[in-house]
Amino acid sequence: MSFMDRMLKIDRRIIYLILAVVVILPMLFNSPLSVRVMDPVQKLFNAVESIPPDKAMIVNFEYDPRDVPELQPMALSILRHAFTRRIKILVLCLYVQPLGMAQSALTQITEEFNKNAKSNADSILYGRDHVFLGWQPPPLVPILGMGESIANVYKTDYYGNQTDTLPLMKHVKNYRNVGLLISLSSSDVPRYWIEYAQNRFGLKVGAGVTAVSGSEFYSYLQTGQFSGLMVGMKGAAEYEEMIAKELHIKARRKASESMPSLTYAHLVMIAFIIIGNIGYFARRRKK
Amino acid sequence: MALIFLVFTIALAPPTGVKASDAPDDGGGSMVIEWQLSKDDASLTGYEIFRSENGADFDKVNFIGNGKNAIQDETEDGKKYYYKIAALQDTNRVFSEVTPAVMSSPQWVDRNKLNIFIALAFFGFIILYYIYHARKGKELYIRKIAGLQAIDDAVGRATEMGKPILYTTGIGYIEDIATIASLNIIGEVAKKCAQYNTRFINPHSDPIVYTVAREIVKEAYSSVGRPDAFDPDSVYFVTDSQFAYAAAVDGIMVREKPATNFLIGWFRAESLIMAETGASTGAIQIAGTDQVSQLPFFVTACDFTLIGEELYAASAYISKEPLLMGGIKGEDFSKLIIGIALIGASIVGLLTKFPVLNLFK
Amino acid sequence: MKKTLPLILVFIVGILGIIPFLIPHPYVQKTDDFFRNDIMKIVAAFALVLGLGSLIRVHYDKIKRHRENWQYSWILLVTFAVTAIIGLFGGVAGTGPLPTRISSFHFDIQSIYLNVEVPLGSTMFALLSFLMASAAYRAFRARSPEATLLLLSAFVVMIGILPFGDQISHRLPSFAQWIMDVPNVAAQRGILLGVALGMLATALKILLGIERNWLGGGE
Repeated sequence: MSFMDRMLKIDRRIIYLILAVVVILPMLFNSPLSVRVMDPVQKLFNAVESIPPDKAMIVNFEYDPRDVPELQPMALSILRHAFTRRIKILVLCLYVQPLGMAQSALTQITEEFNKNAKSNADSILYGRDHVFLGWQPPPLVPILGMGESIANVYKTDYYGNQTDTLPLMKHVKNYRNVGLLISLSSSDVPRYWIEYAQNRFGLKVGAGVTAVSGSEFYSYLQTGQFSGLMVGMKGAAEYEEMIAKELHIKARRKASESMPSLTYAHLVMIAFIIIGNIGYFARRRKK
Repeated sequence: MALIFLVFTIALAPPTGVKASDAPDDGGGSMVIEWQLSKDDASLTGYEIFRSENGADFDKVNFIGNGKNAIQDETEDGKKYYYKIAALQDTNRVFSEVTPAVMSSPQWVDRNKLNIFIALAFFGFIILYYIYHARKGKELYIRKIAGLQAIDDAVGRATEMGKPILYTTGIGYIEDIATIASLNIIGEVAKKCAQYNTRFINPHSDPIVYTVAREIVKEAYSSVGRPDAFDPDSVYFVTDSQFAYAAAVDGIMVREKPATNFLIGWFRAESLIMAETGASTGAIQIAGTDQVSQLPFFVTACDFTLIGEELYAASAYISKEPLLMGGIKGEDFSKLIIGIALIGASIVGLLTKFPVLNLFK
Repeated sequence: MKKTLPLILVFIVGILGIIPFLIPHPYVQKTDDFFRNDIMKIVAAFALVLGLGSLIRVHYDKIKRHRENWQYSWILLVTFAVTAIIGLFGGVAGTGPLPTRISSFHFDIQSIYLNVEVPLGSTMFALLSFLMASAAYRAFRARSPEATLLLLSAFVVMIGILPFGDQISHRLPSFAQWIMDVPNVAAQRGILLGVALGMLATALKILLGIERNWLGGGE
């Protein structure tokens, strides 16, 4: 087999091995990379910053364990941003799988804030600063129902408390009291919020999505239907950069730590594509 | 001191032209209060909104920052309300005049949605028009769609090789249009498998889709006179967990080595896992989805890909039924109208100052 | 009747779904609310029961007939039963009547989710990167001018989104963003418009009973 033929027939196991090495090795050396913040993420950051003090923010968790590397850093950054600015948060899920992810993120961030709190006023208290509404099937029920009354859709929260007895819910009745909804999703869910909640009730919507589905949401950003957009791990790293730079939040930047692995993986894939094309053109010339 | 205070209070200009009206195009329970900004707006803390039910006892119901001159207030339908606005500077406030009594009420029509209703009616009419004409016997032409042309050859290949055919409808639910489109194709594929005596494997990820598909495949076998050849275990439910389903389908591909894989329906990230595994076994693969994010993976890993509405056209294309063909023609004509409108609006918008986008609001 | 009743139901419910979008009046909204909040929840609950019943039946049948790999069906049914019992009686954070803790070992539903489901799901998803690499190597060929343009755009975007891209040239990330914002959006919009019209046509055909395959085949 000639060298050019070998270039066309590299065993896929060799490709997998090289890719595994370039992804794993940088992780052993924990060196976060600073990223340049682009417009879509800047817009989302500004949208959160401009939520009026009397309005809450809804964070919709719609991702599964497999999307944690891309979307969990986004969730943690959004929660850190909101709690730093004392924005009231409602958290909900439209499907059952993401409930664990939502609870895990909320627990981590509230513990992080309360560790440094000096008084009740500084602390993040459940019921006053945030409420975890849980899951209410099927998806259209909460999306449309919350336009009229959130407490009617979620009569009890995730922990079984009557929602209308919680202090936060006394001021947040429906979408009119919500300044922004951010949907963190690996699927079409951000589109549902636009199609139903925004079209009917004028709710502002932002999104954090996986890189593989990101390209289909840019058109909504361009029309202004999304107030901002984070795409993939890079988007998560950009938001981490924003909150570190603008709000001086010091916390572990998991997405930024993954950027070296992402960089080398991309370069390896480009290299293999070039090798394959060199082999292809060489064979074509031979013919 | 009191005189100085009085001078400051008198000097503060109140908001004027306060108007309260029922919020339009809603289901009631809301009023819009508008006013003209105070002359001293720049130095104000903001505006306080006061409301009364009898014109005498006013309560503060809202607050808004300076520079803003409108607010929506939640009210009870059928009750009369009076409003006045106070310009607030620190603790000094100056009131506007009181509005006449107003009531909120629900509307029957949301005028903001009229453009959507008109578009729906217009495009729906076009589609129905072509369906009507197809019914009258008019011949309608649909261009060749490579993926659908290849179905016959793909089934033939499997028969010659003595290997089975694998068909997956993806992980969508029965209400997903792509799943419905896939179910339209599965019947035709099952008919050919029945005719050629080719083994048919159809794992499912949704229990309702599985139930429907089972009936369709059973009926397909009966329609070609081979009800005895139908194996009930050829159509089965696996799991609704996305990657567990992908693992199951991969396992079937590697163990059974089907000659042809049909990956048609609603897919997410598992699409590449299935398509690439199928490609590694050497099978011919025909894919189709309306999920734009998965199309690149299918185009890369599969031999034929049905993109977006090519998938929806499948039932018309395969059955050649006039009513279905009419629907496709209607869609195409609607797209032509939208295309012309977009090009026309772009030209007008670029070359003139005419606010063309307002026409579509 | 078997075919007529579902067709009538689909037509009525379809129309009832469109009307509340256009009419904001409480009479209409409250009816829609009732359908969404009450009726749809009941239907969703039945679908869940149907799925679970089907799953149990398929695997029980496999065990009974000792079909290929029937042993795995036992694993499925046992883990299904155990997880269901823990979830139903163990409570959300292990606060239910069933104890879900043995000294420091937790097996409440949240722990099972975090320690079993999360790593399994992440592992499967991680396969994508390897498969993407092998698919890209195998299939991305500059066979034609269009394919070459596609490849070059892919390279620009792949490098542009990385911090490394910013170091090569400050214009590269903006150019990559432009590719995502302009040509990509144009292509996406074209497909989206077509898909939206296709959905409208298919929905109309189902509402009017022209498309009947979803009923299950046959006359």
